[in-house]
Amino acid sequence: MPKYLLATFAISFIAVALAFADDPKTPPKFDPASVERGKQNFASTCGFCHGTSGKGGEKGPDLLRSVLVLDDEGGKNIGPVILKGRLERGMPRFPFNAQQIADIANFLHNSIESAKDRDNYRILNIVTGDPKAGQAYFNGAGKCSSCHSISGDLQKIGAKYEPVTLQGKMILPDDHWTEGTKQVSAMSFTVTLPSGESFTGAPLYLDDFTVSLREADGTYRSFKRTSPDSPRVALNNRLQAHLDLLKTYSDADIHNLTAYLVTLK
Amino acid sequence: MKNIFLLLAFATVSLPAFLRGQLLDPALLTKPATDSWPTYNGDYSGRRFSTLTQINQHNVKGLALSWIFRLHVGPTPGAIIGGEGPMPEGPPSDPGVSTIKSTPLMVNGVLYFSTPDNAWAIDARSGQQIWHYFWRTKGGIHIGNRGVGIYGNWLFFETPDNYLVSLDARTGKERWHTEIADVKQEYFSTPAPIIVGNHVLVGTGGDSLDVPGFLEAHDPETGSIQWKWWSEPLKKGDPGWDSWPDEYAMRHGGGMTWVPGTYDPELHLYYLGTGNPNPVLTGKSRKGDNLYTCSIVALNVDTGKLVWHFQPSPHDTHDWDAAQTPVLIDGEIDGKPRKLLAQANRNGYFFVLDRTNGKSITTAPILDTMNWSKGISSMGQPIPDPGKEATIEGVLVSPNTSGATNWPPPSFDPETGLFYVGTSQSFSMFYLTDTDPHPEGWGAAERDAGYMGGYLNAVDYKTGKVAWRHHYPFGGGPVGILTTAGKLLFTGDGAQNFLAFDPAKGGILWHAGLADGLSNGPITYLLDGQQYVIAGAGDSLYAFALQ
Repeated sequence: MPKYLLATFAISFIAVALAFADDPKTPPKFDPASVERGKQNFASTCGFCHGTSGKGGEKGPDLLRSVLVLDDEGGKNIGPVILKGRLERGMPRFPFNAQQIADIANFLHNSIESAKDRDNYRILNIVTGDPKAGQAYFNGAGKCSSCHSISGDLQKIGAKYEPVTLQGKMILPDDHWTEGTKQVSAMSFTVTLPSGESFTGAPLYLDDFTVSLREADGTYRSFKRTSPDSPRVALNNRLQAHLDLLKTYSDADIHNLTAYLVTLK
Repeated sequence: MKNIFLLLAFATVSLPAFLRGQLLDPALLTKPATDSWPTYNGDYSGRRFSTLTQINQHNVKGLALSWIFRLHVGPTPGAIIGGEGPMPEGPPSDPGVSTIKSTPLMVNGVLYFSTPDNAWAIDARSGQQIWHYFWRTKGGIHIGNRGVGIYGNWLFFETPDNYLVSLDARTGKERWHTEIADVKQEYFSTPAPIIVGNHVLVGTGGDSLDVPGFLEAHDPETGSIQWKWWSEPLKKGDPGWDSWPDEYAMRHGGGMTWVPGTYDPELHLYYLGTGNPNPVLTGKSRKGDNLYTCSIVALNVDTGKLVWHFQPSPHDTHDWDAAQTPVLIDGEIDGKPRKLLAQANRNGYFFVLDRTNGKSITTAPILDTMNWSKGISSMGQPIPDPGKEATIEGVLVSPNTSGATNWPPPSFDPETGLFYVGTSQSFSMFYLTDTDPHPEGWGAAERDAGYMGGYLNAVDYKTGKVAWRHHYPFGGGPVGILTTAGKLLFTGDGAQNFLAFDPAKGGILWHAGLADGLSNGPITYLLDGQQYVIAGAGDSLYAFALQ
């Protein structure tokens, strides 16, 4: 998609983008080996009261929401509580060494990081629909088969992608793809001048005053818009049917379609 | 005379009351200052309507650029430096720090505005910098800052690591700072402080973890706290407690106070929209309406006591807070004059309330694609469809978490009787990811499902019906708006244009292409007999006037 359109899409989704501002590629904040050691030790020693996840149990409070833990750095706050206990509240002393305390602190801090890192929440099993109903929708009400074929473009699609990715591509497909060796873009503009002359090409820019496109031979063209209808601008989107489906399909249709596509292996 | 600074700025309003540190003249509600922009929304009403007419429909084609101020953030040469954190190594990487989301104040020929960790005074005539203040941060999300508040010579702004900082407006030198929330609990602060009488009203934000929201009043001289209103009950028996399953849920229930509110001097009420409940996208551990999250509340400004509330999104599970500006309209319903409050809500509905008691007058949808509501209750509240709360296999919901609209300021034009708001048509899939009986944080994941463009909408406050709207196929929508008695509406589109519309009919009368999209609420004022319109877009402020 041209940079301009990308940019504007990005603006419209600014809050979503900001919600996902953390770079998922950044290395883990806490040493995974230490986190794992802390997890094991916590589960066997602390889990009875605080729950194995640290979210609290019958006797002990939720440590992931504990201000003492949130304010902690590397076990500085947590350590003394572990070593001295909170005898008045029924928490005994635990004679852990510095490494064990650091591991438990890392485990708790890692769990807190995971809770707030919503970009990296793991989506669970989404394949719960009825494949037969999905097939019926594919060939019937959904009109998917008017563009797609399970022996053509969707052949073995279920083997190609994980279900979450597959469902994402079904709902909001990529706007560029290849057909043979040809790069295809879903969107194009067609500009029709008052004279009747028209130009079609890749969409570069559109606002209320200007429209520009690049024709198949590479020619750049831009036109002044003097009114909403002059020149006439058509936004052609080969994926329009997917956008239209958003207003018509039910959640069950989505689940069933997903279950059906997953079977195409 | 210590308040001499504002003497000139408020020459047209009743000064003595203000100089005694009492309420701004109540006339500010209905007769906003023309020679200043002294508070976030220009006046207390939140209408962002100016009575200025020098720039008008007949001459707007002659509106031209006067100056551009491009900001430079961080410890720039000559910057006044404060803060509790370390000195940064190199420029900030977060784009929020270099994006002007704040509405500038203009007082006595000087513009004051802010971005996260940064505040400026610039000459409103020339755009030349007078001072720059930089705050060394301890952290926090640097997503944006909505501006400064002014009281006499004193400026106030909030930081991402949750300090209220007071500067001397004349020099930019710090007077004091005080911590209002713990950054380690994932609070971060973006609002512009609102000053009413001798109360500096400050809110906060942050819903990554499950912490409660609040609004505080601080003393403008010392920074000491005067009152604190929690946006949730803290214990059984507190107002609203029976809308939560237990004390643990309510104390971790969210309800952030991240957009400045509005004020009615006659009723002595401060109106505020509150944030979404926590955990954000799943409600299983917080069954009930979850008061006072996603609510419009009226607080006694001297005590912080709740007087009434209305909840646009009972038991929200989609991050649709009700923080959007509650706009005060002195209008007419069925031929009778009424004191009204209108809000275009993130959930896709437009609400009109009686602002004396919070009773619903009108609730109407303003988003075609909305699919989460089963209708409207007899109390004027939307009825959420429980089938649209996140499930493991996913549900398709419109709008997405950004909402039908968001924080960018709307506007009400009393001459057209229309409320203007930008909206965005979007869909997302919501997947439950935390199956624990006590989920934490957001508890569910969101994935984009589709986008159908944005609209500028003109809504008739009497009926909630859209009188006209303008479609932007790519981007645009929730963008700041200003209306004027010159029969003009200023806003931005999704393509970096700053535009003037005819507020009555919706035609575009003027535009200028900027280097970035409009990122704040535009303002206007008269200075040396010249009307200026100021727009913030990305890292620059643009000033326009008639040539």
